[in-house]
Parts: sequence; C-alpha cells; structure tokens
Amino acid sequence: MTELLPHITDKLDHILAGLPMLLPELVLAVAFLATIASGLFVDHHWRNGSYVVTTAGIVLTGIYGALQLALPTVDDLLFGMATMDALGQYVRILTSAVCLLFVLFVKANPGFNAHRKKTSDLYSILLAVHIGLNLMGMATNWLMVFVAIEMVSIGSYLMVGYLSNEARQTEAAMKYVLFGSVCSAVMLYGLSFLYGFTGDLDFTSAAHIRGLAGTAPLLTATALLFVFTGIGFKLSFVPFHFWTPDVYQGAPTPVTAFLSTAPKIAGIALLSRIMYAWPADSAAFQYVQTLVLVSAIATMLLGNLAALRQTNVKRMMAYSSIGHTGFLMMAVLAYSSGEYAILLFYLAVYALMNMGVFILADYIEARTGATNVSEYRGLGKTLPTAFVSFVILLISLTGLPPTAGFIAKLFVFSAVFSNWQLTGNTGMVLLLIVGALTTVLSLFYYFKVPLNAFLRTSEDAREIRPARTYVVVLATLITAAVLLLGIFPGWLVDLF
Amino acid sequence: MITLTHFLVVGACLFSTGLYAVLSRRNALLVLVGIELMINAAIVNLVAFGRYDKSLYGGQVFALFAIVLAAAAVAVALAIILNVYKFYKSVNPEDISNLKD
Repeated sequence: MTELLPHITDKLDHILAGLPMLLPELVLAVAFLATIASGLFVDHHWRNGSYVVTTAGIVLTGIYGALQLALPTVDDLLFGMATMDALGQYVRILTSAVCLLFVLFVKANPGFNAHRKKTSDLYSILLAVHIGLNLMGMATNWLMVFVAIEMVSIGSYLMVGYLSNEARQTEAAMKYVLFGSVCSAVMLYGLSFLYGFTGDLDFTSAAHIRGLAGTAPLLTATALLFVFTGIGFKLSFVPFHFWTPDVYQGAPTPVTAFLSTAPKIAGIALLSRIMYAWPADSAAFQYVQTLVLVSAIATMLLGNLAALRQTNVKRMMAYSSIGHTGFLMMAVLAYSSGEYAILLFYLAVYALMNMGVFILADYIEARTGATNVSEYRGLGKTLPTAFVSFVILLISLTGLPPTAGFIAKLFVFSAVFSNWQLTGNTGMVLLLIVGALTTVLSLFYYFKVPLNAFLRTSEDAREIRPARTYVVVLATLITAAVLLLGIFPGWLVDLF
Repeated sequence: MITLTHFLVVGACLFSTGLYAVLSRRNALLVLVGIELMINAAIVNLVAFGRYDKSLYGGQVFALFAIVLAAAAVAVALAIILNVYKFYKSVNPEDISNLKD
C-alpha cells in the first residue's frame, strides 16, 4: 500500500481530467437526486415537480452529449474503464431521446396517473437506468460492463413491477427478475474465467488479447458463451429470449416500449464494441462472429415465425422486436469497425418506430379497451388519425418504401452484401437469404392490423372513452419523422 | 497445500448446486438461493484468480462490486416475489403461468 502513496496525486489528476467527459452522466446523477427530493417535498404542492425535473435533466444530458461530439476521442477514460468515441456519444444522445419519449408517454398513460404511488419514483429509476445505459455504450472493461448491465437490469425489474395492479404484471416482473438474475450470475461466472485466463479486465488491452489467444480454445469458447448469456439476455436474442414475450405483454405499455428500445441500443453498441476490440484473425473474434451469426439467423426466424400466431398486440410486437434484434445483429456483423453509420441509423429508426407503435397501442387501449388484434375490427373509422399512423409505422417496421424502415433495411442488406463480396463468407449469404425471407414473413402479421381496422367491420359499436390526446400528436410526429427519413435519409446519415 | 485448483473446484461445485436449484424451480425463493450460490461461485473464482494480479487487484475489486450488486438484485427480487404472493397466494413458479403462448 505504502509504495502506492506517491502516485495518489497522479491518479487523482487522471480522474479529475476524465470528469468533463462524463458531464452528461453527472447531470443525470444530479437530476436523480433532485427527483427524489422533489418527489418527497415538491410534488404535494405542485403535481408536475418531478416530471419537470426529469425532463429538464434528460434534455440537458442530450444537449451536453451533443456538445461533446466536438471533443477528441479519449481511449483510457478512468484508467481504461471506458472509452469516449463517437459511437458512445451517439448512443448517449439516442438513449436520451428514447428516455424523453418514455417520460412523455408515462405522463399520458392512465395506469401510471391513477396509481397511488405516483410517478416520481419511476422517474428517478429511469434516470439511474439512463446512467447505466450510457456506461454500457462506452464500457471497455468487464467490470464496467457488468456494473452497467446490472444497473440497467435492476432498474428495469423495478419498472416492470412498478404498478403491480394486477396479477399478470407481478408475474411478468417475477419472470423477468428471476431470468435476469440467473443470466447475470452465469455471465459473472464466465467473466471470472476470462479474468483468470488473461489477468486483465480491460477487454481492449493487449494483455487480454494475448491471454485469450494463449488459452485452450474450448475453455475460451465456454467462458465467452457464459459471458454472452448476460448480453443475450439484455438484447433478447435466441436462445436467451424466453422472458421477452411474457414480460412485454405483462408490463405496463410505456415500460414495454422502453424495454424494447433503450437497452437494445446500448446492448448492440456494447456487442459491437466487444466484437471489434479483438483482431479479426484471432480465435476469440472468429468464435464470437460465428456465435452472433448463428443466433442472428435463429433470432430472425424464430421471432418472425412465432409472431405469426399471436393475437395480443403487445405479444406480437414482442416477437417482432426479437426479429428486429436479429436484424440488428446482422448490422453488427456487416459493419467493419469505424463505419457505424448504418448501425446507428437502424437503431434510431427502430427506436422511433417501436416507440410510436407502443404509444398508439396504448392510446387505442385507453380509448377502446382493445388489446387483441381481432378487437381492432372497424376501429379504423372511429380513430382515423391513430390508425393511419399505426399502419404507416407497421409498413416501416416491415421495411417497405417510402419509409425509413425500408432505407434502414436496405443499408443493412447492402452492407452485408459488400461484406460477402470482400470476404466470401458463406454465413453472409445465409444472413441475406434469411433476412429477405423473414421480411416477407413479417408482412403477414403486421398486415393483420390494417386488415381488422379498415377492411373488416364490427357489428357492435364500442364505447369510446376519453383519454389524453397529445400522445396522438406525438405519435403523428414520429410517423412524420419516419416518412421524412424514408425520403431524405441523408438528413440523419450525414450526422453520424 | 491449497492450490488454485481447489478454489476452482469449490467454485464449480457451488455453481452446479446453484444451477440445479434454479432449474428444479420448486419455489421462487429457492431459485433466488440458487442464484446467490452461482454468484458466490463466481466471487470465489475472482478472488482466487486475483491473488495472481498483484498490481491492480482487479479480482478483489470485482468481487466487492459483485457482492453489492447481488444484494441489490435480491432486494428487488424479494419485493417483487412478495407482490406475486399477494395475487397468487403461492410462490411456486409453476403455479404462476397466466402469461404464456
């Protein structure tokens, strides 16, 4: 201990020099404390206290994140715990956007507004999860990865179980927490072996790469498989997807929308960071590549096939989001390090589309009580704005022109194709075939919504309840954005 | 003489016991106990490996973080299981199956 004493000043200087890069996270930490305080003292007098604090915190984080884009890349932030490059910074901004949409969505949700616990605790959980998501996007050390994943997971368990108004919500929360904890325990066990093989927790370091190369391939493969259990749970790719349909159906709809977007953005960034940290000719990289390739194919097939026979809208969207995870993994495989514009475009568009669909599904449920696709019969004439937006978003999710979903899929397909031409990897051809096939498949289940809403009529008129209408405006704006990005994709792509 | 192998074997036994408790799924609380055993197996490994990492003590630090996070996750899980019990009057995961395909 005593021999370390002379270095303490240097170490403190290093930490202090890194702090300006973490300004967005510091803002979130302050907002986190402020929402707890305002939930305790302000909300009695002014109902919107913690809502305003949270919104301000998230917007400020987004702005600071955008301002930091101008700063140069820092590789060894906090002694190599994290790296601050453009990918991590864009992930921060995207996460802020999704969190902001979530806050607006919660504000309009009748279930959260009527609840006796109020929403201030939910907002503070959200801010903590936001910090975790940001860290996930820039972690380069296994300890940081683990802490970030656990921060996001524990917050998500609480969000799913927040209302606990009915049996199904508590069931969803229990399944989520048990499955998630098992996955993170398995991941921790795998991490302990990676640490043992290499003696270094920083997965970008030379010692780590050398250690992995020097270990028996079977051992490395087992340890990496264990580690990918934890990441697979966050991304819900096959075979770690079992929790997804149950949790998405049981959770309150705003939480479902959040879970299907924000952790996926950060998780995909983490996945690509881990993959491209290792040299392309190393055994570890090739093993991870095969693992991701096989599970991407399985994920696309299973997600889209299982969605075909769903009747509940949220459950259908859960399987659809599993299918999209497969696509995202395909995008990760296709991009060679440095060209993440395609990946970020897909993530941004996917987040917009999913948020929009869940906002509309929740609005329709609040107005009419319909949760199944068959109950949408004839509603297209009653709620025209909502259903037109809904259909456009579903067209975009399928990947048909003139929407942003089409452009995103086109980018991914062409990237995979050029990767195949460069490397001649047969796996890439398989990805292309399965991707095209599942896109056609997805048309069948997405089409159920317009089929019921516009083409079929219902005999009994439904009672239409009043609900907050500003979410429809929000959803319409999202739809407009999806359409505009479909026609002018350069607006977003040129930013990255 | 207790070597690194001894620690790893203890860890592996703990992990397998935990995994068995999780997979048999009799009771949600026992699943939690199993998860705790699995985490402890990883912690034993980390500390044992950490002995060879004299410069940074990464393993020991990781173990401390893992203990804290495991405690937080268990606290959340217990609260959720309590809520489940309120509705189902049971904590057996097999009785709790409203949500399924």
